[in-house]
Amino acid sequence: MTKCPVCLRESEPSGFASLAKHLEAQADGSDSDHVRWLNQNVSRTKLGAPELTERLERFFDLKGAPLSEWIKRRFIARFYAEPAHPFVRALQHPSRATLLGYVVEHQHFLRQWVRSCAYIMARTDRPDVVLYELDNLNTEYGGTGATPAHYELLLRMGESLGVSREEILATAPLPATRAGIDGWNRIASTEPWPAALGAMHCLELIAHRDLVREGASSHYFDPGILQGTEISDAAKAFLREGYEADMGHAGQALALVERYAAELGVVPDVQAAVLRSIDLFDDYLIARLERGATFER
Amino acid sequence: MNVNFAGCALCDSTWGNVWAEVEGERRFFCCELCLRQFRNLLARVKLETGWVHLDAVEIVGDRSGRTCTASCGSGTLRVRVAFNAEGTLRQFEPF
Repeated sequence: MTKCPVCLRESEPSGFASLAKHLEAQADGSDSDHVRWLNQNVSRTKLGAPELTERLERFFDLKGAPLSEWIKRRFIARFYAEPAHPFVRALQHPSRATLLGYVVEHQHFLRQWVRSCAYIMARTDRPDVVLYELDNLNTEYGGTGATPAHYELLLRMGESLGVSREEILATAPLPATRAGIDGWNRIASTEPWPAALGAMHCLELIAHRDLVREGASSHYFDPGILQGTEISDAAKAFLREGYEADMGHAGQALALVERYAAELGVVPDVQAAVLRSIDLFDDYLIARLERGATFER
Repeated sequence: MNVNFAGCALCDSTWGNVWAEVEGERRFFCCELCLRQFRNLLARVKLETGWVHLDAVEIVGDRSGRTCTASCGSGTLRVRVAFNAEGTLRQFEPF
């Protein structure tokens, strides 16, 4: 069943001709999100239905490669093409403001992360998926014994940069972060669980060290900043943790997505949800920069 | 006012169907977000320069960042601009 990568509506009847018709209708109505998707993923030039259908078929075609490769390709195209996403560029050698923008918006992201992963656990009947999510949640949010969670390291990074934990936690998310949270909540609670798994955990590719070998134009940040005194020790601890954890997390999750998407026949749902999640994440990363700018004044 | 795009005045897309009067002319935009961005950009250029009208605006780039060259008579302003998801300017750096 083909599904719209913007509003996640199922095409009726199933097929790329129906999806093309839907996208065309939404574009004719000047819906910003649908127009944006077409501009960024297909063409800036309006296409007729036959050509749009053909382009969509090509875009979603796995071309015999594993689903995880298709996901990585899409992720790299959005965030790590040349030039990389503006937030990634800013994080190469981050200013205090960039890191604080990261802290203030990301604590909201991580709180939604817990809800999204909890939805996946509640909706799957596969023990390996539950165990994977439990491990992920401990790393990201709960912490294990002496090892602080990513969430705690994030707050410590903010404190090391002169903003109290109370202030961080009391700051409401920017609209794009809010929209992301709502979008991910919807995906996790209503889409087939392998699609939710793909939509959430593909985002951990952002800090995946091996992405450069697969065509990314840069790392998430210049690894050199983990040495020396360019950033605080707490910032190093936070970035190092993500750098090490997300690599394993994303790889394991994509293997699970691939397996269960095929087994349950929901590959198109996964593709649509991943693409929607990528759009939400793109805007959310811009919100980190926007928040960061408030610390420059 | 001259613009360098035949499609949407901000991004050159030919999808969509928004028509609005900007700088005294009816112009095409692919969506309301681009219209908002374009209006915000022009308003900021006028604010920074004191110009009451613009003769031309040339935009290069995409969502990740654009450069804009605005002119009025013999005056020219070149700026790096970027917007947030709601169409508000988050970067406006003359260069």
